[in-house]
Amino acid sequence: MKILVCITHVPDTTSKIAFMNSDTELNKAGLTFVIGPYDDYALARAVEIKEAQGGTVTALNVGLAETEPTLRKALAIGADDAIRIDADPTDAYFVATQIADIARKNGYDAIFMGRESSDYNGGQVHGMVGEMLGMPSFSPVMKVEIEGTKVTLAREIEGGKEYIEASFPLVLGCQEPIAEWKIPNMRGIMSARTKPLQVIAPVSQENLTSGGHYELPPARSGCKFIDASEAEKLIDLLKNEAKVL
Amino acid sequence: MPKQYFSLRNLKFTMHELHKAQEVTEYPYFAHLDREAIDMILESAIQIADNILAPCAIEMDREHMAHFHDGKVTVHPSVKKYIKAIGDAGLIASRAPLSANGSQLPETLNVAMAFVMGAANNAITSFAGLTEGSANLILSFGNQHLKDTYLPKMYAGDWQGTMCLTEPQAGSSLHYITSSASPTSEEGKYKIKGQKIYITAGDHDQTDNIVHLYLAKIDGAPAGTKGISLFVVPQKRIENGQLVPNDVKTIGIFHKMGQKGAPAVHIEAGTNDECFGWLVGEPHKGLTYMFQMMNEARIGVGTTGACIASAAYYAALEYAHERPQGQSLNIKGQDPNAPQTHIINHPDVKRMLLFQKSIVEGSLSLVMQGAKYADKIHSTEGEEKEKYQLLLDFLTPIIKTFPTEMGQQSVSSSLQVFGGGGFCEDFPLEKLYRDIRITTIYEGTTGIQSLALLGRNITMKNGKAAMALFQEISQDIKDATTHEDLKKYATALAGKLGEIQKVTQHLVGFAMKGDTERFLADATLYMEAFGILVVAWQWLKQGTAAKLALLTQNPQGDDLQFYESKIHTMRYYFAYEVPKTQGLMTRLLDDEVLTIQVENGILV
Repeated sequence: MKILVCITHVPDTTSKIAFMNSDTELNKAGLTFVIGPYDDYALARAVEIKEAQGGTVTALNVGLAETEPTLRKALAIGADDAIRIDADPTDAYFVATQIADIARKNGYDAIFMGRESSDYNGGQVHGMVGEMLGMPSFSPVMKVEIEGTKVTLAREIEGGKEYIEASFPLVLGCQEPIAEWKIPNMRGIMSARTKPLQVIAPVSQENLTSGGHYELPPARSGCKFIDASEAEKLIDLLKNEAKVL
Repeated sequence: MPKQYFSLRNLKFTMHELHKAQEVTEYPYFAHLDREAIDMILESAIQIADNILAPCAIEMDREHMAHFHDGKVTVHPSVKKYIKAIGDAGLIASRAPLSANGSQLPETLNVAMAFVMGAANNAITSFAGLTEGSANLILSFGNQHLKDTYLPKMYAGDWQGTMCLTEPQAGSSLHYITSSASPTSEEGKYKIKGQKIYITAGDHDQTDNIVHLYLAKIDGAPAGTKGISLFVVPQKRIENGQLVPNDVKTIGIFHKMGQKGAPAVHIEAGTNDECFGWLVGEPHKGLTYMFQMMNEARIGVGTTGACIASAAYYAALEYAHERPQGQSLNIKGQDPNAPQTHIINHPDVKRMLLFQKSIVEGSLSLVMQGAKYADKIHSTEGEEKEKYQLLLDFLTPIIKTFPTEMGQQSVSSSLQVFGGGGFCEDFPLEKLYRDIRITTIYEGTTGIQSLALLGRNITMKNGKAAMALFQEISQDIKDATTHEDLKKYATALAGKLGEIQKVTQHLVGFAMKGDTERFLADATLYMEAFGILVVAWQWLKQGTAAKLALLTQNPQGDDLQFYESKIHTMRYYFAYEVPKTQGLMTRLLDDEVLTIQVENGILV
């Protein structure tokens, strides 16, 4: 089985985010970048499937050279090779176009990725890739089991889970608890240094969106303690001060 | 647990910008690594800390602490998950050479990983730490059969390792141990009999076997420490390919004040005369073997002090930003309707936080300095190697003592920031305060470390080790002096080094007259003063590195704030902590000594 896992290169979720150039650009100074948490689940499940059934896992990222350590981590976790599309991932359509192009050329049985990235949280790429390739696309997928050519999925829906049977090829947007995150081991880290990492020029694609400016959420205010006997006061604060009721 | 328990930014600054940890990858011994691999391995440790260790830290201390019932010890189930994760990642074998299927990682990286994982959960890390230490003893001194039998299982995290030294009547003075080893007809195999106490991880239900590295005296061995041998005494021995009980009984566990997730066990070997042990290395060299691991273990304890203080500091910092209480002291006539200010705005709270930050980051830097020397020992040859060995040997008692003694004060100060809340189980501070208390005791108490510093290290190789350290510090003073605004601090440190050298000469004078008791009576106070100055050196280095970054990197935003914070904390340390040495040195030069030649009856 040939699996393509698309990974994003995102700031660690505990990072303190700041902007520059009149709030039009993320200030990357001092930030630690990681594999997107949902992509990490997708990668872990893909590696599990490869280990159980054989085949290959290719990790792909659309990004500039600075994302290579993130791809190396994917190799350390268990991907066999990696592809970096040498371009700034400007919007979801651009990224989906690049993934679809590689998938058309190389032919994969399944394309795994996170349900959404943890920086822009768009959650659009898996749907777009499915459409571009004419493959079914499912998200958010919490479970994948494969038996021969039959793929059984569990997908989170409003108020419960939906169980689906599908077949290859397909695109999956994954989330927990599809697999447990894999921690790279020493052997993986050492072998990652010699696994192939191919850099490919992007296919031409006009941006369909353009960025404006960023704003941070308002600073958290101090905590107020309300005595348990003063429920009315709590309701009043929630209604009139926090305005959440 | 609070959201943050360490600063990755500071850890990377300390490792790479300050101590240039990645330099060692240029030497053949560490050439299998590069900066990217080092970062990735550290990231694995952070992942283990965030996902496995931190979530169960409080639970291990309260609802699911180590428990003894019906002769069996149970611990939190996360222990298995942790040991397996760290074993699978290749980190139990992190110091073992590649030739032994180890990871051969630099000590700077080992310290960084220990710091992160210990800050997340300091009780759980001892399980893997002890397995690593005992496996490395087998690797260094055991025969091939022992290596083949035990190392794969221990490095994988399937079997637990322990260190069995202390007995009810023999703690710091190990020559009083009475555990015995009687030869059998099989070479290297002995019948073991005796009791051991305070054996951390000495029994539990999360690994398939427990492998004790056990000190005992072979029948007829010389008296004293020269008769002590080292044995592998498994809880279950292998017979016909099966694990069978080896007559090692758990008598009970100690009800400790802190680190309650890790059991300290009282074991008895050979109750039924059916306990077998296998000799490690040569007879009567057990203590020598054990002490070859001691530098490593002592750096490990120093790291534990620093990381517990780190967890406490970040909890206090978060709380100080969120807790409104009182108004600014500058508001005349308190306005009852005015909003309260956050407690971080009170100068005394800020002082406490600066104190904690200076201890946490100063201690980490000191521990990392020792680790850097350890890496240099692996990477260099001849005179250079000897120099780094001397530096590490000299600094080791200080690395063990400063972060633990001052770490206790720092955690106490963190707890103080929480007010009454810190004394309650609503916050993690009371736990951290209990946890750190052991660190000044195990692997050699502060008193013993102080005797080692003054009684042994100062005069080591005719003072060559002390001279090597003073030369290192002098070079860093010289570097700092090139920056106009650091001159004041460089000069202050140079002056203080001169003073401590005078104190040293004064005390060594008693040794030369044969009055050892007078020489060493106040060794602990000498350690305190020396430790403050060694960490002042580390702060001057941090200030210099930060200044250089400000001048050459044009940092912005958080990065700018980070470097400015470094320089401010260095200034705090020199203004508030370094002057404390004055009182200590006055005491050390005073001829009135009230602890010797005094009847015990004076203490009524």
